Amino acid sequence: MSEAIVEMRHITKRFPGIIANDDVSFSIGRGEIFAILGENGAGKSTLMSILFGMYEPDGGEILIRGIPEKISSPARAVELDIGMVHQHFTLVREYTVTENIILGDEPWKRFLGLLPYVDVKGSEAKVSELSARYGLDVDPGRLIEDMDVAGQQRVEILKMLYRDAEILIFDEPTAMLTPAETGMLLKIIENLRDNGKTVILISHKLREIKRVADRCAILNRGKLIDILDVPGTDTARMAHMMVGRDVPIDGRSTEARAPAADFGDTVLSVDGLAVYGADGTMAVNDVSFTVRRGEIFAIAGVSGNGQTEIADAVAGLAEVQSGRISLNGDDISRSSVRARIGKGIAYIPEDRQNVGLILDFPLGDNLALKKYRTPPFAGGAMLNRDAFDAYAGRLIDEYDIRGAGCGRAAVRGMSGGNQQKAIIAREIELGADLIIFVQPTRGLDIGAMEQVRCMMSAERGKGKAILLISYDLDEILMCADTVAVIYGGEFLRVSPVESISVDEIGRYMMGVTEG
Amino acid sequence: MSLVVIDGLSFALPLFIIAVGGIYSERSGVTNLALEGLLGFGAFTGGLFVVLTSGIFPQGSQTPICLSFLFAAIGGGAYSLIHATLCVKFRANQVMSGIAVNILAVALTGFFTYQVNAGVFGSPSDKFMIGVSPRVTAPGISDIPVLGAFFTNVYPFEIMILAIAAFCWYVLYRTRYGIRLRACGDNPQAVDAAGISVAKARFGAVAISGALSGVGGMCFAYSITANFSPAIYLGAGYLAIAALIFGNWKMIPALGACLIFGFARSAAYQVAKSLEISSNVSDLAMSLPYVLTLLLLAFFSKGNRAPRALGEIYDKGKR
Repeated sequence: MSEAIVEMRHITKRFPGIIANDDVSFSIGRGEIFAILGENGAGKSTLMSILFGMYEPDGGEILIRGIPEKISSPARAVELDIGMVHQHFTLVREYTVTENIILGDEPWKRFLGLLPYVDVKGSEAKVSELSARYGLDVDPGRLIEDMDVAGQQRVEILKMLYRDAEILIFDEPTAMLTPAETGMLLKIIENLRDNGKTVILISHKLREIKRVADRCAILNRGKLIDILDVPGTDTARMAHMMVGRDVPIDGRSTEARAPAADFGDTVLSVDGLAVYGADGTMAVNDVSFTVRRGEIFAIAGVSGNGQTEIADAVAGLAEVQSGRISLNGDDISRSSVRARIGKGIAYIPEDRQNVGLILDFPLGDNLALKKYRTPPFAGGAMLNRDAFDAYAGRLIDEYDIRGAGCGRAAVRGMSGGNQQKAIIAREIELGADLIIFVQPTRGLDIGAMEQVRCMMSAERGKGKAILLISYDLDEILMCADTVAVIYGGEFLRVSPVESISVDEIGRYMMGVTEG
Repeated sequence: MSLVVIDGLSFALPLFIIAVGGIYSERSGVTNLALEGLLGFGAFTGGLFVVLTSGIFPQGSQTPICLSFLFAAIGGGAYSLIHATLCVKFRANQVMSGIAVNILAVALTGFFTYQVNAGVFGSPSDKFMIGVSPRVTAPGISDIPVLGAFFTNVYPFEIMILAIAAFCWYVLYRTRYGIRLRACGDNPQAVDAAGISVAKARFGAVAISGALSGVGGMCFAYSITANFSPAIYLGAGYLAIAALIFGNWKMIPALGACLIFGFARSAAYQVAKSLEISSNVSDLAMSLPYVLTLLLLAFFSKGNRAPRALGEIYDKGKR
């Protein structure tokens, strides 16, 4: 390790009821990629928020370039050349890339030597130059609202570089990215290091850390477990230290995958389905498939190829343009959402915060969201609050939902994993014949991921028909019985999972049908 | 015909400057239903200045007219600080605050007008008589058919409004303050992350909207009503809000909306007058701009997009 640029000594931070960081010490060398690994809630983000001046530690000290510093605000952190890319971007969506980057530090020019104005054009050149130097591929004149998540993230990176940040903190940067975008980001991170920047990478994704990090600190329940040299450590050992027990990381989990059963009757049958997307173009074109009892039917593909639209059409959230959807033999193509729920469709949507939950409602209300009209929740016109509490209590125990006490706290304050478990609990409890899972483990840590997959597998064991939509090929290989690969709104291939190779699926996902 | 243009402009332009004030406030993320109260309070302070100084300036001097606009801007701006404080500092519901500010303005200005008239002049009345602003006609251009009407019998304040509006456009789109103000209305977190105070930017924006509304109100006092009295609260503030929504929170389209409202109003008036119908029915004709407002908003503002953070109380801690 070269000279230390950041040193954190005996950092302790308590929140009411928990210790987020318990006497954590490490030092980070100039020009290295230092990863901080831990499950959700292990205290990684808190630790970095302290370094970035968002929280004040209860104990310990921070040295930057060998000098003890009191970092009382993000503004102070920026003065010390520390930058941070948060999980939620702070960008003005109706502004261009350049306008966002210069916000707060806008360069002046004078029109005809008189009237001062903000010089956006001149700044564009500097942004362009920075973008090229670090391989960020960002068009400085583009509007943020026209860019995808990965592009917006690169703007956040540019914002730090524009302010000459030397120490760059990334908080779970790949949570929202597709595999291809993740690859590009990791390259950018390596690029930053090769240009002399120091990168701190917060993540729970072992594979990414293994790929780029030089060293890695592992946190568990707020405590520093160890600091490892990444190249000399295998991922299984890192996973064990992070979770505190053995977990299957790659390949096919034995627990999640029961032996191939004989499938029962057809539950969902989709015939010649066509759906228009939000932009008015044909998103799903002539798709037909069936899902049987005890079968996990997975749709693999790169995000944006019509998967979400298929799920929405089956659940009743998107209009069926042509074709037929039937459930247990009944045509439901034109049924209302409520009628479909009544007939036996459960839906775990991709956007859990906006579609799956009412964030400011208490957990108990969210759990009863599809049942509140029926006894015991409602008697006549009145709601029976005791029934909500009792129901929440039972589901919290059965599904291990944490973070909302006994069910009266709002789900907004819960972690992503627990929000997802709450949705899954609600949907499974419907007792529906068909359960649609869309991206069920996105953004979850290894522990929660495993729990979700076990729940899915248990439902399969009970003879439910399951439609799984995932962008994670590993997840599909691990869980599915049958795989369909979608590209451009059409199924290019449908096959039992045993008789198709990963390479084949990967090729179909890219739209290659031959060779 | 030329009367339609002349009267239309003298209504549309004060409406426009009030709408510009609304745009400042709303682009910074603060819903401003208080425009009606702000214009009334501004006109009150301007009118108060005129009646109190009526003995100082010589008869026929233009100075009190000019200064009254300054005092109207100060009065409107100061009064708007109530809305700013409630919304920005105390995080009150912005719609409720706006309504409260409006109701309070009607009550306060009516009360003080009466008190000042009774106490200073010994004649209890709810009016400040300030007269009508003189008009100017541009020689030459005004003789052109139809178009000439735009240069005939113009109130000087109409020219002043265009100058102020041009300066407001420059500030909003070309200066640091403008860029930060508009950013506050889209994503206040981004402004905060850039180390700028969201509260200060919004406070300033609301104060500017108060000052501009005050100027607009003073224009009405010098033209349509020819005095300051509770008659000033004729709904122009709400019409300005409709104009800025119809104009998609942008200045030039809002000007277009104001012109439509102004011409609709003056045309309805001229039609009613030429038909010599009774005043009961002509009042109905005068409701035309408001009916038009409803129709325009219902059918043509679907594609309009309000500032993303409009009406949102900015709370640093929210995830």
